Amino acid sequence: MSTTAFFVPRTVEQAIDLKREHGKNLVVMGGGTIVMGLVHDGLLFPKLAMSLARAGMSDVRGRDGWLEIGAATPIARLAALKGATTLERAAGMLGGPALRTLATAGGNLFAKAPYGDLCVPLLAMDAELEIAGAGGRHTVPLEQFLSRRLKNDELVVSIQVPKAQGRGAYLKLGRRQANTPSVVAVAVQVVLNAGGLCTDVRIALGAAAPQAVRAKKAEAALIGRRLEDVSIKAAAQSALAECNPATDSLASAWYRREMVGVFVRRALDEVGRST
Amino acid sequence: MATQLATHIVGFQLNGRPHAVTVAPLTTLRTALREELHLHATKAGCGQGGCGSCTVLLDNELVLSCLVPVTLVDGRSVTTLEGIGRPGRLHPLQEAFHDHFAAQCGYCTAGMIMAAKWLLDRNPNPTRAQIQTALAGNLCRCTGYLPIIEAIEDAAQRMSKGERR
Repeated sequence: MSTTAFFVPRTVEQAIDLKREHGKNLVVMGGGTIVMGLVHDGLLFPKLAMSLARAGMSDVRGRDGWLEIGAATPIARLAALKGATTLERAAGMLGGPALRTLATAGGNLFAKAPYGDLCVPLLAMDAELEIAGAGGRHTVPLEQFLSRRLKNDELVVSIQVPKAQGRGAYLKLGRRQANTPSVVAVAVQVVLNAGGLCTDVRIALGAAAPQAVRAKKAEAALIGRRLEDVSIKAAAQSALAECNPATDSLASAWYRREMVGVFVRRALDEVGRST
Repeated sequence: MATQLATHIVGFQLNGRPHAVTVAPLTTLRTALREELHLHATKAGCGQGGCGSCTVLLDNELVLSCLVPVTLVDGRSVTTLEGIGRPGRLHPLQEAFHDHFAAQCGYCTAGMIMAAKWLLDRNPNPTRAQIQTALAGNLCRCTGYLPIIEAIEDAAQRMSKGERR
């Protein structure tokens, strides 16, 4: 079976109309780095395909202290932002330079583990997604989005990132230093009060479950405590106990779980040292 | 809206000259280059964006031509290895790769040189670490990378001494 049509809509509305009209027959791509690989491998045979690259969703702008990232923004553009956030760090460590030119912020949200690193800092920063559908636009927390599917007539239009609170760290372990999916990826965001006690902690894990997840027991274990050896080790232990990694060609589930412990500890150590 | 049914025509600048290809939906830039335009420097490797052997420049940005539907290249500008030098008038990167034995089987070479050109266009005097970072998406299974990195360092020096490009 070959692909009979390739749509390149020029507006979000056109793209939604096409999704509504063609439903599951229509394969949607951002930069094509996921879809085209599946097509080459013979794992996907799109009857109809649509690129969102020209639909007017490639802007990055500040709005009321939030960063609004158009869904079709290339990862390379995020890596070049100058806000010194975990998001830029994660973007710069994703794939190689040529892949980052093509891959999009919105497309990466749909990547399954061990891909999809961008969700890790976005979860730790409590990002939200603007979703457009035939019935209008609404916003959902990224965490909620990850646990459901888009409706047939819906598209992710932008990623809304609140200003980072407190201090963050992002660490990725791969089998190589670059251009590799994650064995594990960890992002943490910690707010300390004047007395040095944790008042807000977010720990997000990549490649530790089918999709990026928060380690909520580990977060809760740190609230009201100082970032010090004992509390950090307890949080890391909790994170490795609550995650649900898979075995694949990169790493075993056992190894990933161990590395979740190691990298949560290192990320929290990094935040602790920087305060 | 650009709806491309069945086969359609895509026009773009290729190595400075206008070209057109007639392609089926989802035909990649790599396939158009190799099988329609018969430019074989750009290699077909993994087809997954993992090896870098299909690397070309699209509007002077580094891309993996195996992942780009050529429909999206319409009206844009593509540079392949064939566009930066030719026999008797090689690009300094091509000369330096030759002089440093930076190619063995040669399968990665076109992609390596395009990634290196992309780097040197932006940063004429890169550090070794910057070269390694720029080549992070290009795999070589023969050389161990050292001759490639040394060739790029040498090419940067040749170019800063005023050799062509």
